[in-house]
Amino acid sequence: MQEAAVHSEHETSVWPMVVGASVLLAAMSLLTYFHWQQPTLGVILAGLTVAVLAIGVTGWAREFFQHGTEEGLGPIAVAAFIISEVIIFGTVFVTFWLYRITHFDTWGSYVPEGLDATFAIWLTLILWSSSFTIVLSERAFSRGDKNGAMTWLIATIVLGSLFVVLHMNEWVHLVDEGFTVSSNVFGSSFYALTGVHTSHVLVGLGIHLVLLSVLANGMMTSDRPTFYKGAALYWHFVDIMWLLVAANAYLIGGSA
Amino acid sequence: MSEAVATQPTPWFRASFKEWIFTTDHKKIAVLYGMTSLLFFSVAGLMGMAIRFELTAPGVQFLDPDLYNYLLTGHGAVMLLWWAIAFWGAFSNFLIPLFIGARDVAFPRLNQLSYWWFFSASILVLITLIPSENIRMMWTGYPPFSLNDNAGPTAIYVLIIILIAGSTLGTGVNFITTVLRMRAKNVTLGNTNLMTHALISSIVVQLVGVPAFVGAVIMLFLDKYIGTQFFSASSGGDPVLYQHLFWFYSHPAVYVMILPAFGVFSEVLSTMSQKPIFGRVSMIWAIWGIAGLGFIVWAHHMFTSGMPDWLRIFMSFTTVLIGVPTGIKIFNWVATLHKGAIKLNTAMLFTLGGIFMFLIGGLTGIPLALPAFDIHVHDSAFVVGHFHYVLGMAVTLGAFSGVYYWYPKITGRMINEAIGKTSFWLIIVGSNLLYFPMMMAGLEGMPRRYVDYPEIQYWIDMQEIATVGGVLLMIGVIVTFIAWFKGLSGPEAGRNPWNSNSLEWRLASPPPPHNFDSYPVEVDEDWTPYKY
Ligand SMILES: [Cu+2]
Repeated sequence: MQEAAVHSEHETSVWPMVVGASVLLAAMSLLTYFHWQQPTLGVILAGLTVAVLAIGVTGWAREFFQHGTEEGLGPIAVAAFIISEVIIFGTVFVTFWLYRITHFDTWGSYVPEGLDATFAIWLTLILWSSSFTIVLSERAFSRGDKNGAMTWLIATIVLGSLFVVLHMNEWVHLVDEGFTVSSNVFGSSFYALTGVHTSHVLVGLGIHLVLLSVLANGMMTSDRPTFYKGAALYWHFVDIMWLLVAANAYLIGGSA
Repeated sequence: MSEAVATQPTPWFRASFKEWIFTTDHKKIAVLYGMTSLLFFSVAGLMGMAIRFELTAPGVQFLDPDLYNYLLTGHGAVMLLWWAIAFWGAFSNFLIPLFIGARDVAFPRLNQLSYWWFFSASILVLITLIPSENIRMMWTGYPPFSLNDNAGPTAIYVLIIILIAGSTLGTGVNFITTVLRMRAKNVTLGNTNLMTHALISSIVVQLVGVPAFVGAVIMLFLDKYIGTQFFSASSGGDPVLYQHLFWFYSHPAVYVMILPAFGVFSEVLSTMSQKPIFGRVSMIWAIWGIAGLGFIVWAHHMFTSGMPDWLRIFMSFTTVLIGVPTGIKIFNWVATLHKGAIKLNTAMLFTLGGIFMFLIGGLTGIPLALPAFDIHVHDSAFVVGHFHYVLGMAVTLGAFSGVYYWYPKITGRMINEAIGKTSFWLIIVGSNLLYFPMMMAGLEGMPRRYVDYPEIQYWIDMQEIATVGGVLLMIGVIVTFIAWFKGLSGPEAGRNPWNSNSLEWRLASPPPPHNFDSYPVEVDEDWTPYKY
C-alpha cells in the first residue's frame, strides 16, 4: 500500500481552510441579508463567498492532481453522502405527503391553472439525456479521448443549465399567476420539492465546471478517474431524484 | 513487531504553529476538535451554573427571564452539540486510524475542512453572546415560538445547525470510508475494537439522522424569512411536523453521544480487568441494534404533542425494547469484571462511575417510555434530572475516562492518580447531589424551563441540595483539568502502560507523526485487541 508515501508528503494543506472560509462567508451573507437586513452587503458577501470558494476549490484540485495519488476511495464517500441526501429529500417528501393527505378535501383549490405535467416531461427528457451524455463523456475519458470527454461534458453542462433555466422560467410564470410559496401548503411544498432538487442540480453543475477545468488543462488524466466517477455518480443520483420530485410535485400534487 | 519502533522519533505534536493550523494529520485535527470542544464545554458549564444559582431560591434573583432563556438555550445546544457530540469527534480522529492500523483517514484534507465547518459554527455560537443576538428558542427550536421575534434570531440558530451538520457529514463519509477500506491486514470488522464500532455506529447514525434535522431547520428558516407555510397552523401548516423531523434525528442523537461512551467503557473495563470483554460478538450486535432501534422511537418525546394512539403505543414499545441491547451491554460489562485482575485507577473509576450513572439514567428512562407515566412528568424537572444522568454524566464520565485512559498514549506521560481520583469522587458525589434532587422535585410537579417558581418548601430544599451538588461537580471538573494540565510534566508512560493488545499501544508514546513505522500494518490472524 502506498498510503504512507501519499500522505507523508502532505502534512499540511491551506486549501481546506480557504474553502472553510467560504463556508463561514456564506453563513454571514445569509445572516446579513435576512437577519440584519442589509441586502446590498449581503449580496456583496455572497459574491465574495463564490470567489473564495472558487479559489479554494481550484487550489485544492491542483494540489490533489499534482501531488496526491489516487486511492480510488471517492465513490464510496459519494455513496455514503448520497444516503444522507436521500434523507434530506425524504424530509421534503414527508412534508409534501403530510399536507397532501391532511388537505385532501381542499387540495383542488390549491392547484394553479398553469401547472403543466407535460412540461415536466420535457424537463425530464432534458435532464435524463444529460445523464446519458455524462456516461458518454466518462467512456471517452477512460479511453483517453480528451476531446470526446470534453465535448460530452460540455453537452452535459448545457443540458443541465437548460433544465435550470426552463425550470426557473416556469417558476416565474407560476408566481405571476399568483402561485407563490405563501399561497398555501401546496405552494410551500411544491417550491420546496422543486427547489431542493434544483439546488442539487446547481451543485452538480458546479462540480462539472471543476471537472471541465481540470480536464481542459490536462491535470486529470485517464489513470486518475476517481473524481470523475464520484461526480458522475452524484449526477445520476440527482437525475433519478428528479423523477420522484416530478412525479410528486406535478402528478400527485397537480391532480385535484 | 512491537520492538521494531524502539528508537523514539519526534512526537506527533511537535510542530510549528503554521503546521498546526493547516494540518491534515488526524491526530492534530483531533486536538483542534478536543480543545474547541473543551472551551465550549467550559462556557456551557458556566451557563449551567448561572441557571443553577438562579434556581436555588424562588423568585427572580439576578437573571432576567430573557437572559435566562438564552442561558438555557446556550447550555443545552452547546453541551449537546459542542461537548457530547463534538468531543467524540476528537476521539474518532485520534483513535480510529490507530485502531485499524492506518496511516491517516481516507481524506485528510476533507478532514481538515470538516473541522473548519465546525469552527465556523463555533463562530456563530460566539455571535449569539452579543445581547441583541441572543437565541432564546431552546436547543429544540420548536415553532411557533422559534418563529417569534421574542425568540431571538432564528437565522443564527438555523445556520448553526446547518454548519455543524456540514461538519458531521464530512466527518461521516470520511470515517466510514476509512473503516471500510483502510484496515490493516487481518483487522476485520469482526475483531476490531468495540470502540471502533461504537464510534462508527454513532457516525452512521449522524449520517442518516442529521439531514432530517437540517431539512426541518431549513423549513423553519423559509417560514420565517421567505413566507412559506410549513409550520404555520393558521395557514394549514403543521408545527408538530417540525417536532417529528427534529426528534427523528435528535432521539438517535442521544446514541451518537452515548454509544462512544459505551465504547470507552468496554475498552477500559477489559484492559483494567486484564480480561477479554465478555460476549464480544453480542456487544457488537448490541451497539448496532441500539443504533438501528434508535430510529423508530422518536415520538416518545412527543407524547403530549398529539398523535394517533397506535403511534404512541408503537413508539412506547420500541423504546422499552431498547432496554434489551442496553441490558446486554451492562450484563457483559459486569461479567467482564468477574474474576478479573481489577486495577482501580482513575480511568477505571470514571468508567465504573459512568456505568453507574447510566444505570440510574436508564432505569428512570424506562418509566418515561410509558405514556401513562410520561404525560404526568412531561416537561418537569424529572426529565431534566433523567437526561442529565444519561447525557450529562454517563457521557462526560465516559469521555473523561477515555482521556485518562489514552492520556499516556497521546502525551507520552502519566497523570497524577491522586488528583484524578479526587476529581472522580467530587464529580460522582456532586452530580448525584445535583441530579437526583432534580428528579425528586420533578416527581413533585416542578416544571422545567422557568426562571421562577412558587415557594414550595420541598422544591426549595431540592434546589438547594442541587446547587451544593452543582458546585462540587464544577470543582471536580476543574480538578480534572488540573490533572490533565499537570500530567504534561508527569513521569514517562512507556509504550504500553496498561498492558493492552490493542493496536494503538504498539506505537511509541507519544506516537510518531506517521503512526506505524511501516505499511502495510499486519496483525496475526487470531489477533484481538482483548488478548491478555
Ligand atoms: Cu429519545
